[in-house]
Amino acid sequence: LISDGQQCPLVVVGETGFQVSDEVYTVTIGATVPTGFENTAAEEVQEKIGANAKISKDRGRIYFQITTDKLSQVHHLRSVDNLFVVVEEYDNYQFKDSKEETLEDLQKLASKLPWSDALKVWNMNTTLKKKRGPHRQPQGPRGRGRGKANKVTLETDTMQTETIEADIVETDTVETDTVVTDTVVTDTVETDEVPGQELGAKVLKFRVTCNRAGDKHSFSSNEAARDFGGAVQELFQWKADMTKFDIEVLLNIHNVEMVIGIALTEESLHRRNITHFGPTTLRSTLCYGMLRLCKPQASDVILDPMCGTGAIPLEGAIEWQQAFYLAGDNNDMAVSRTVNNICHIQKKRRDKGSISGLPIDTVQWDLCHLPMRTSSVDIIITDMPFGKRMGSRKNNWDLYPSCLKEMARVTRPGSGKAVILTQDKKCFQKAISRMGGLWRKHHTVWVNVGGLHAGVFLLKRTLGIFGQIAEDSREGKESKPHEEKPGEERKKE
Amino acid sequence: MCICILYLNVLSRISGSQATEVKVSEVEFNPNFVSRMIPKLEWSALVQAADGLGHLQDLPTELIADYEANEDFLRKVHRVLLEVEVLEGCLQCPESGREFPITRGVPNMLLNEEEA
Repeated sequence: LISDGQQCPLVVVGETGFQVSDEVYTVTIGATVPTGFENTAAEEVQEKIGANAKISKDRGRIYFQITTDKLSQVHHLRSVDNLFVVVEEYDNYQFKDSKEETLEDLQKLASKLPWSDALKVWNMNTTLKKKRGPHRQPQGPRGRGRGKANKVTLETDTMQTETIEADIVETDTVETDTVVTDTVVTDTVETDEVPGQELGAKVLKFRVTCNRAGDKHSFSSNEAARDFGGAVQELFQWKADMTKFDIEVLLNIHNVEMVIGIALTEESLHRRNITHFGPTTLRSTLCYGMLRLCKPQASDVILDPMCGTGAIPLEGAIEWQQAFYLAGDNNDMAVSRTVNNICHIQKKRRDKGSISGLPIDTVQWDLCHLPMRTSSVDIIITDMPFGKRMGSRKNNWDLYPSCLKEMARVTRPGSGKAVILTQDKKCFQKAISRMGGLWRKHHTVWVNVGGLHAGVFLLKRTLGIFGQIAEDSREGKESKPHEEKPGEERKKE
Repeated sequence: MCICILYLNVLSRISGSQATEVKVSEVEFNPNFVSRMIPKLEWSALVQAADGLGHLQDLPTELIADYEANEDFLRKVHRVLLEVEVLEGCLQCPESGREFPITRGVPNMLLNEEEA
């Protein structure tokens, strides 16, 4: 039963049949999100889909259940980078001691897994994507085209594992193994070019991506991907293809937890708004997470005084339209890119038949002399320059205090807040500690930006009137720290 | 640059002669946004700016009472605040007379070294 004649026929071996039907059933969806923002992502899932999300111990992943009739909704989530449908999950998988035995187990596992429902979902999803039309091609200034979903798992022998996500497009590709693999630059397939459109003509292509973390495994992610992939290939008679694949099978192993899934997104969703990149463009999912932290309210005036390419205020203007956004930078190129990015989004909206205008304006200004009335701003949200990529550590020592002072001046006392991302945590914390009369630290989220540990600091503006109190006076007792759920704040000094 | 930001700004003068290109575009109407924004603005200055740009239309020169429930009125304010944009022109500081150019909708508010 093929519903619209455009589906990729799956050639299968054995008893695993493959049919499309109208029945509705429940599946588990996994999503990767910027590390540190698992909770905000879970909130969004609850809000938009009504599902309770479970946060995985494997950082940066959440899981939730949906009924298949709601599948299209998952693509509206703005806090997720990538989505996949779970084939099977193991909370406590017993890996054998020897490499040979473990790999053999993985090979045998392939044919025992309940692939059918997940494959149906994959199929539905592919159809959905075609209906949505061709993907836009974001071209970074280096003209690399799209799809740099770089996820490299460095397997170290310690308890820690780093999953480095290149959320900044211009990051150099970290070298990887290209055996049926654990990661790589996707040379993407245009959705409407998916092979197999001609009924019955082509065999599906696939690859296996393995992310492995933990220090007690006897095998590498490459080996697992290779052997598991081999068994999958035998089972379905698909063809292995590293770059032009139709189906991406995911093998995620975190200590004794193992999840097998099928990817539902080909290119990471995190690049959605920006077509004109700069050297430090933040991924939109990270922008979304930061904005959610400050909870924009109707008529809030939200300022990004160092907007770069405008990623943060643009995401805000799209998602929280009841506030007004001011994006500003001193740099000509940044201003120009911001304007271009906004125009591009507006054009996209017009083309779709929606109202194109957005509540956002761009200004060229000096952030230490903001052309704003005192106490006129409700929220300041920005990505402060990291010493390594922009500016230098030495500059930050001077820059941070003067920025914070000017930001305190324009922000409304009492109700105002600031959400500031910075990698130079030491310098920032020092600068803040000297401004207790104006700013109070409320909450911090530790994140990973392009492989660097950074902090998103949520600050509240005190009731202190700018100019009337000494900035560095303390307001007596420090306010009670925000109650954190375990594991939410991890100091990474 | 839309008029909305003008009133958050220390500069409050813009006139028709200084705006050489004005555009009107559609922005989604949000009554909540408009009614909460109104108290933050200086009404007479808003009227003056709108007039100067030739877009006063039937916006009242005095702020009416009970505007929160008056959708008609809110829509007029919405239009002036968010939909009228200056693409080319300049902003002038009422005290010093110093002009700040607006290009492609972006005002350049950088100060010279002497001014900082």
